[in-house]
Amino acid sequence: MAGVTGELTGLLPTNQSVITTAGLTKHYGSVHALTDLTVDVGPGVTGLVGANGAGKSTLIKILLGLLEPTSGSASVLGHDIEHASQEIRRLVGYMPEHDCLPPDVSASDFVVHMARMSGLGAAPARERAADVLRHVGLDEERYRPMGGYSTGMKQRAKLAQALVHDPHLVFLDEPTNGLDPAARTDMLRLVQRIGSDFGIAVLVTSHLLGELEQVSNHVIVLDGGRLLRSSATTDFLRRTGNLLVEVVGTETERDRLGEALAQRGLTCRPRGSMVAVDPPPPELAEAGAVHDVIRDVTAELGLGLMRLEPDHGHLEDVFLEGGAHV
Amino acid sequence: MSERSGVIHDLGYRRYDGPRDGTATIARTLYVTGLRHTYGLGRSGKSKILPFILLAMATLPAAIVVGVVVLTGLGSLPVTYADYTNQVQLVISLFAAAQAPVLFSRDLRHRSIVLYLARPLSSSVFAVTRWLSLTTSLLFFMWVPTFLLFAGALLAGLDKSDQLEGLLKAVVLQLLLAALVAGVTGLISSVSLRRGFAVVGSVVALIVVSGVVTSVQAITNAQDADGIGVAAGLLSPWSIFSGLADAWHAGVVTFTPPGSAWALAYVLVAVVLTALCVLGLVARFRKVGSR
Repeated sequence: MAGVTGELTGLLPTNQSVITTAGLTKHYGSVHALTDLTVDVGPGVTGLVGANGAGKSTLIKILLGLLEPTSGSASVLGHDIEHASQEIRRLVGYMPEHDCLPPDVSASDFVVHMARMSGLGAAPARERAADVLRHVGLDEERYRPMGGYSTGMKQRAKLAQALVHDPHLVFLDEPTNGLDPAARTDMLRLVQRIGSDFGIAVLVTSHLLGELEQVSNHVIVLDGGRLLRSSATTDFLRRTGNLLVEVVGTETERDRLGEALAQRGLTCRPRGSMVAVDPPPPELAEAGAVHDVIRDVTAELGLGLMRLEPDHGHLEDVFLEGGAHV
Repeated sequence: MSERSGVIHDLGYRRYDGPRDGTATIARTLYVTGLRHTYGLGRSGKSKILPFILLAMATLPAAIVVGVVVLTGLGSLPVTYADYTNQVQLVISLFAAAQAPVLFSRDLRHRSIVLYLARPLSSSVFAVTRWLSLTTSLLFFMWVPTFLLFAGALLAGLDKSDQLEGLLKAVVLQLLLAALVAGVTGLISSVSLRRGFAVVGSVVALIVVSGVVTSVQAITNAQDADGIGVAAGLLSPWSIFSGLADAWHAGVVTFTPPGSAWALAYVLVAVVLTALCVLGLVARFRKVGSR
């Protein structure tokens, strides 16, 4: 990792913003696709999450210069989207959400052609295409027409064309769309590698909040075209202060434990097969005090303690909390 | 990374720091690729069949004419260069109708246009480059028989300056025609994304309208109402071509030849129509690319 970052410093100082937007707005008549969006995206993998129609694709298209914003400004890799859109498109790669591959061409030929359209010469284009297709995991099938590809193979070919010209930033719009669980995991691992091993900044979108937790350093949450929250992934996943307790047995045992803990002054609620214990009252705030209480109570009740762990936040919680953090 | 020897390394991801072409070079690459694709070159074997059969059909009569002229020692070519193009207009129209969708429908239908527009070329450069590819392709299609005729004429020892004048007129008229036909068929193909509809649309625009215009011109000529026939000539690329060739004494005879003022109008309409088609293409590509 250190080596990769070292090589990159000439292009992208690690502390420099890759994307900045200020008051970015896009309205289609009465439809507000994006409203007053101000965000800052750094290097590494940044997740852009939100429900369908939250404005994720609109944001990417504006940054690529394919759409003009109604108002506001933005810059990508230090270039202003209004004045240097062509320069930006030279430096970024884009994997669209929808199908965009001609069915009668092989992935190999297509990726070479796309490399040339990004300004690579004939020989480097062939070399890079072969390299990148290997990285995304398209082997012998790269020589077959893409019309016969499975969704997973199509997604890989789309990813390959986005990387073939060695961009400094890639926009990946819903790369896991339509993939089965195994292919989804593969794709997410690949996204993570692009950000870390390849040293290419990534802006990846998903409507599934959970899946980007694992791969992104930073998460931006959009809701109805507005910024709901933008912070490091670790902030989303911070400990909530709650404890989760699970005992051997059925719901009966769970409820017995819950009632016993409540009598000791702890606020509890059932969550699945576990009991969630809220942060303790002041008299039990001392480190380990709550753990002791829980241990003693289970022992008194003769229950088998299976699990006792701190509870973590989830990206989904941002939506439950609403716009409180904006 | 590792100091050990005799181990096969996965090189990992390699960055590219070699040269990158400027916009002009990228556009040239796109232009050449497009031009090759209209003849099926760099595409599947199947897609080469139609363009080359049509090219053979457009060239075969010229080859026969050359054979006859060389063998019998005729004093002149039985057909002028411009008139030859006019005579094989059906084949040329079919070629344009069949191959325009290759350049103007595929990227839009399969939405690979988005991948192009996310790269350095802008939608306007992209559309204009595509149009140039088709124009050149059509020119090549017309020039193969034209230059074959010219070579035959020289071989038969016909007067060089006479032939050169006829050739030059034909080449200029073909340039105007190719640009216009490429614009019209390109626009039709970019709007009707299904290949079948695009071909039918282009056939109607080129062949059917041309037939109707010729009929109108014949009727108005018979009724001594040439003015209407001349004006009707503005409606089809082919009647513009033949009208101008007639007015310029390039060896084409029409029912209602335009006078010099009308000839100017013909040129103007051809140029303006071509420009409008290209603008329409730019707008179309930009719109689809932003979706």
